[in-house]
Amino acid sequence: MTNVLVVPVATPLLTAIILLLAPRKPGLQRWISFVGSLVMAASSVLLFVTVQKQGILVLQSGGWPAPFGITLVADLLAAMLIVATGIVGVAVTASAFAGVDPVREASGYHGLFQVLLMGVSGAFLTGDLFNLYVWFEVMLVASFVLMALHRTQAQIEAAFKYVTLNLIASSLFLTALGLLYGGTGTLNMAGLAAVFRQREIGTFELVLAMLFFTAFSVKAALFPLFFWLPASYHTPPAAVGAVFAGLLTKVGVYALVRVFTLLFHNAPPQFYQLLLAQALCTMVIGLLGALAQRDFRRVLSFNLVGHLGYTTVGLGLMTQTAMAASVLYIFHHIFVITNLYLISGIFLRLRRTTDFSALGSILREHPWAAAISVIPLFSLAGVPPLSGFIGKLALIRATLAAGAWWTSAIMLVVGVLTLISIARLWDESFWKPATVPDRASMNWTMVLPMAGLAAITLAITVTAEPIFQLTLRAAGQLLNPQVYIDAVLKGDYRP
Amino acid sequence: MELLLAITAGTLYGAGFYLMLRRRLAQLIVGLGLLSNGTNLLIFTGGGLTRSRAPIIPEGQTTMAGAFADPVPQSLVLTAIVIGFGVLAFSLVLAHRVHEMTGSDDIDEMGLKK
Amino acid sequence: MLAILALSPFLLALVALCLGKHSRWTVLLAFGPAMLAVCFGSMMQAVMTSGPFSASLPWAESLGLTLAFYADGLSLLFATLICAIGSLIVIFTSRYFDREPRAARFLATLFAFMGSMLGVVLSNNIYVLFVFWELTGFTSFLLIGFYHERKEARSSAIQSFVVTGTGGMGLLAAAVLIELSAGSHDFSALLSGHAGLRESAAYQWIALLVLAAAFTKSAQTPFHFWLPNAMAAPTPVSAYLHSATMVKAGLYLVARMTPLLGGTALWMGLATAAGAVTMTVGAWRAVAETDLKRILAYSTVSALGLLMMLLGIGTESAVTAVFLYLLAHACFKGALFLVAGTLEHETGTRDVTRLGGLRSAMPATALAALLAACSMLGLPLLAGFVGKELLYEALLSHGSPWALFLLALAVGSGALLGAAGLISGLSPFAGKIRQAAPAHAVATALSIPPLTLAAAGLVAGLYPAIVDVPIGLAVASTLARTTPVHLSLWHGFNAVLLLSLLTLCAAAALYHWRDAMRERIWPRSVGTEQLYTGALRALDTVSAWMLPALQSASLRSYALVLILTAATLISGALAWNGLPGIPQITEVRPAEAAAAFLTIAGAISAVRARATIVAVLSLGVTGYGVALTFLLFGAPDLAMTQFSVETLTAIIFTLVFYHFRRFRSLSSRMIRLRDFTVAVVFGGSIALSLFFVGTSVTPFGLGRYFAENSAVLAHGRNIVNVILVDFRALDTMGEITVLATAALGVRALLQQGPRNDGKPVSPLILRTAARLLMPLLLLYGFFLLLRGHNAPGGGFAGGLVVAAAYSLNAFAFGTVTARRALLVHPSILIGAGLLMALGSGIFPVLSGKEFLTAQWLAPTIGLGSPLIFDLGVFCVVIGVVLTMTFMLGEE
Repeated sequence: MTNVLVVPVATPLLTAIILLLAPRKPGLQRWISFVGSLVMAASSVLLFVTVQKQGILVLQSGGWPAPFGITLVADLLAAMLIVATGIVGVAVTASAFAGVDPVREASGYHGLFQVLLMGVSGAFLTGDLFNLYVWFEVMLVASFVLMALHRTQAQIEAAFKYVTLNLIASSLFLTALGLLYGGTGTLNMAGLAAVFRQREIGTFELVLAMLFFTAFSVKAALFPLFFWLPASYHTPPAAVGAVFAGLLTKVGVYALVRVFTLLFHNAPPQFYQLLLAQALCTMVIGLLGALAQRDFRRVLSFNLVGHLGYTTVGLGLMTQTAMAASVLYIFHHIFVITNLYLISGIFLRLRRTTDFSALGSILREHPWAAAISVIPLFSLAGVPPLSGFIGKLALIRATLAAGAWWTSAIMLVVGVLTLISIARLWDESFWKPATVPDRASMNWTMVLPMAGLAAITLAITVTAEPIFQLTLRAAGQLLNPQVYIDAVLKGDYRP
Repeated sequence: MELLLAITAGTLYGAGFYLMLRRRLAQLIVGLGLLSNGTNLLIFTGGGLTRSRAPIIPEGQTTMAGAFADPVPQSLVLTAIVIGFGVLAFSLVLAHRVHEMTGSDDIDEMGLKK
Repeated sequence: MLAILALSPFLLALVALCLGKHSRWTVLLAFGPAMLAVCFGSMMQAVMTSGPFSASLPWAESLGLTLAFYADGLSLLFATLICAIGSLIVIFTSRYFDREPRAARFLATLFAFMGSMLGVVLSNNIYVLFVFWELTGFTSFLLIGFYHERKEARSSAIQSFVVTGTGGMGLLAAAVLIELSAGSHDFSALLSGHAGLRESAAYQWIALLVLAAAFTKSAQTPFHFWLPNAMAAPTPVSAYLHSATMVKAGLYLVARMTPLLGGTALWMGLATAAGAVTMTVGAWRAVAETDLKRILAYSTVSALGLLMMLLGIGTESAVTAVFLYLLAHACFKGALFLVAGTLEHETGTRDVTRLGGLRSAMPATALAALLAACSMLGLPLLAGFVGKELLYEALLSHGSPWALFLLALAVGSGALLGAAGLISGLSPFAGKIRQAAPAHAVATALSIPPLTLAAAGLVAGLYPAIVDVPIGLAVASTLARTTPVHLSLWHGFNAVLLLSLLTLCAAAALYHWRDAMRERIWPRSVGTEQLYTGALRALDTVSAWMLPALQSASLRSYALVLILTAATLISGALAWNGLPGIPQITEVRPAEAAAAFLTIAGAISAVRARATIVAVLSLGVTGYGVALTFLLFGAPDLAMTQFSVETLTAIIFTLVFYHFRRFRSLSSRMIRLRDFTVAVVFGGSIALSLFFVGTSVTPFGLGRYFAENSAVLAHGRNIVNVILVDFRALDTMGEITVLATAALGVRALLQQGPRNDGKPVSPLILRTAARLLMPLLLLYGFFLLLRGHNAPGGGFAGGLVVAAAYSLNAFAFGTVTARRALLVHPSILIGAGLLMALGSGIFPVLSGKEFLTAQWLAPTIGLGSPLIFDLGVFCVVIGVVLTMTFMLGEE
């Protein structure tokens, strides 16, 4: 039964293989991809339900006991993120029915997308640090190819920025892994956690912490290492951008949370101050960057960066409620930001660009599309009672309760900046009269996935209580690594 | 020997980064290659050096007797080499396309022509 | 029950949306709020006898969010007002928007606002109050921007949203601080117990934040500028949100919090001062305007200031005056706004200098306007008069010197306000007809609502005692003590009456010289809008200044930041506790030193290279150096792979960069020096880390287990290979996925370019060599694959050899021939390989084992699922390498 853990990883791979071997007919490819995503989503829900009921779920791949083989582990955090991945996968593959650029489709777009999903799932589920590196590379190469398939100068330049900076980050990660194995003799996260529990933080541990911190900060697009994101996320097509924005950075945040709760939970307090300062700088710089932008997707990119700061506040404070609030924020943010990038697809279809100069009049011309857009847009702005508010409320309560006055104050100021940014975004793209006419008709198949994601955003509001309880439990697991260690390492193989 | 290898790895990292800070696409990719080699050397060295036998169990025995090289860093490096190759090969071909399209391999010029 | 009542307008919003364009029926929707008003009104009696109502629905208790409602006198007074005026607005709107296609959407938003506003005044939970508070702001944003084709409507909508939203952030923070300080987030609990908020450490912050929220929402100076700008909204919105209800949410908040936070110098002083300034500024600015709605907006600002000031003073008579004046204001200001809307609807203008003599064209509207204007003026027999009397009495009876100063301000503002009332209510109807004239008679639906409001003012003015109960209850809630209120029309001849008469006369005089006054008034603006525009401009400037650095700087500068960050953090970490002692090291042997120096020499040469080919070859040299090191330290598999990958990379490099020019040095000497320094620091910190911490502790953990179990359990003697295909096969699965993806990417990129059939002109010797070598290489490749489990080799090495054979064939005979010799398309090979690897993982699952558990058919000869896995790797490698070489050959 623990094999359910591998299904969200194996399904996208299988789908990708079928897509590679199947004829390159667009209709067929879309359906295969969609069905594959459905299966993956279903398995992710099954996995989540199992974890919910039975606690941390562990699969020793190859049947080798824990520190020796590669362990797949799903605690509540991983299970929640896997469910989000499954849902995003379905929404994005469904959006392909509205049309994908034929050149991309002929280049194997659907298969690449499935590989990307596989990488994300693998990263969330693995219990082995080197294996995490492998999944990072799977994601990186798939996203690199997806970006490079488009052929304008700006897009290729963006792809190079993206891949170079991410490769440097990967090599820092790998460097850390090399030192880590040399110093501890294991790569299993639970094993490492057990080793580190018995150690004082010395030079070795600090160097490692800094290497991981730098590498994952790049992946998670945190200050001052986020610049690859705004430099590249506005170029790929909407569906690709949606997955990048919704999932890839979250994998970075996840890695940061995972490694720093398991391995470095007894780091010196200055380290947590560093994390917190980084989160605050990310928020402020991200939102300030968003204000001067004149392009829908660029505004989103900077908002994305800014709000990633919210997601690491919990790690900086290390209290259960703060951690739970950050997890809640991550969960909400995945659906909202994915949806908004999909919505940018409407503009790309109707106006061929997301530059403000060509936008406007969407409310007048397409009121229903605009009405659906209201939900993710103002959820991002934190307008109650939408899910963004729930996340923000949880964060403010947690930070004030922890006595982190500055953090709460800056989060509130950033809340105002977000409000300004989103109100302008709404004005420029939905309200103001457009100067250019639509260059294509509206396609309703493209609105369906958006409506679905918006419905999830609303559902998070309604079910805020069970979801927050869930994140509290997830945070409890994160802050008590012993539970994780006990679940993974059985009896004999303890260091 | 560890010191010498540490210096070697450090040189590879430094040289790799230096090249990545140049404006030529080709230099950028050579830099990535150097960085990748440096990382592999680091994992290998960090895993512990031993001049003893390769981790291959002799015919007729069921286990390694005596000292032998740790097989784990070796397998990690193997995986890293192959992954590095995949990414590098794709970057190379992409650079080739860029050069074909623009006639230039100056990274700074890439963004200027729209 | 209470919860259902409070939330029912949201249902009405849905109904309004569904009714759509059937505008004949929309007027019936007014019954909804009318019924609600009756309900809330009748609940007041019950509150008198049996105390406040409360009800609660679950939501998110652990976040402090419960949909808890609480109805005491204060809440019910506001709720009744909201619903009663709401129903009149709905009637008015049904006719006002008879030619507006988006009327259904408008009405739905209006009902959503009504629900939010009811939520604000009926919430028991302070967080839920915040939720509804922000929702009123959001619906107001949508309603102000209703005419979104107009630029000023959009910018005003954003302005009010941002200003009130900023205050809202304060309320959120205050709510959390209150919960943390008092241990509860429910008003019912806070009000009944000794919350002790005034004594808490965070009191000053709480008070400031609550007042900030109230001041922004209730348009107190210096935040008042958004309210006149909000007049870009359709008139029913101005009448309802920006005069009668939403702007009074701030007053409600202050009244609600007074028992908890009031009574201190900070609270009273700030509210009184802000209120007094706002009252004066608003009145002053009201008479300077010519647009009907802006006149009314500024007079609303003034009234809000007046009310805030009275709440700040907080004596019993002051609070009584607050609620009476609040009711009176809602009636006359609502009526005047609706009159303004009617005038605009019928004549097309709101400019008072263009309106006049319309009394015979629209008699009912004129009557409503006159009554309302007189009430605003404070003429006896009208509610406004009673309110004004109470106001003056409250200030007179206070007895402190600053109360007299406030009284002077109040009288002055009262006169200005009276004049403004006359300008807006009298001048359009009095005198001669001016430019603007109505096209047809005013519809009943447009005249009834203002007439009703004006008449209500008259009734309350004649029999003030009918509002004794609601006002008494509201006063009791605000002061947290029962205080019977007895209102009467006539207070006798006294100083208060004298002041009232003085105000009246001054107002009449100002009205008479209104044109002259309007021209000479100074200052025209208090300029607080600069706070908003200036702040936004500053933010935009900062943002624009950061922009180039954030998104369009060169890749190199981003890489530099990243490397610098890493270098700083790593060296910081090394310095934090100081370096540990020098670890035990092994001695240097000549061959090993040679390999290391080869690597270093390659790296230096790559840096110094001026030609691509030199750089590529140097990279190759470092790779070989590293491979040599691997070989010398007991890693033959690794060395083999490193050698072949390095060769392959060099070949692809040469194919690709064949025609690249020599480098010119594009960077200046300074930049190169800077980069060099950074590179040295980074390389140095890596070297130090590796030497001091990487080699210090080597527990050699997993290797021992693998050595013991590789042959026995995993049936393979080449431990590295067993790790790759069995112990850590999942890594390998990811690895071949990376390879496959990269190859497909290469194919996609090259497919788009020009192709040829890849027919080379190769010398005879190459062709002969290829013909001879091909079968040998193929055999060797399969041999490597099969023996890999027990000796150096394996799927990866074997695949490379086979791929080399086909590549050689392609160079010699062209890719067409090579492709034919391969029998299958390389990408099929990739797919099949991946499928084999994945299949060998899934197969054990079918028999209930863990994913990727090895299944052995004949372990002694190595026949089992790991072999299938390795075969998969083999196929993928062949497919990947051939995809690349074939595609590049065909370029």
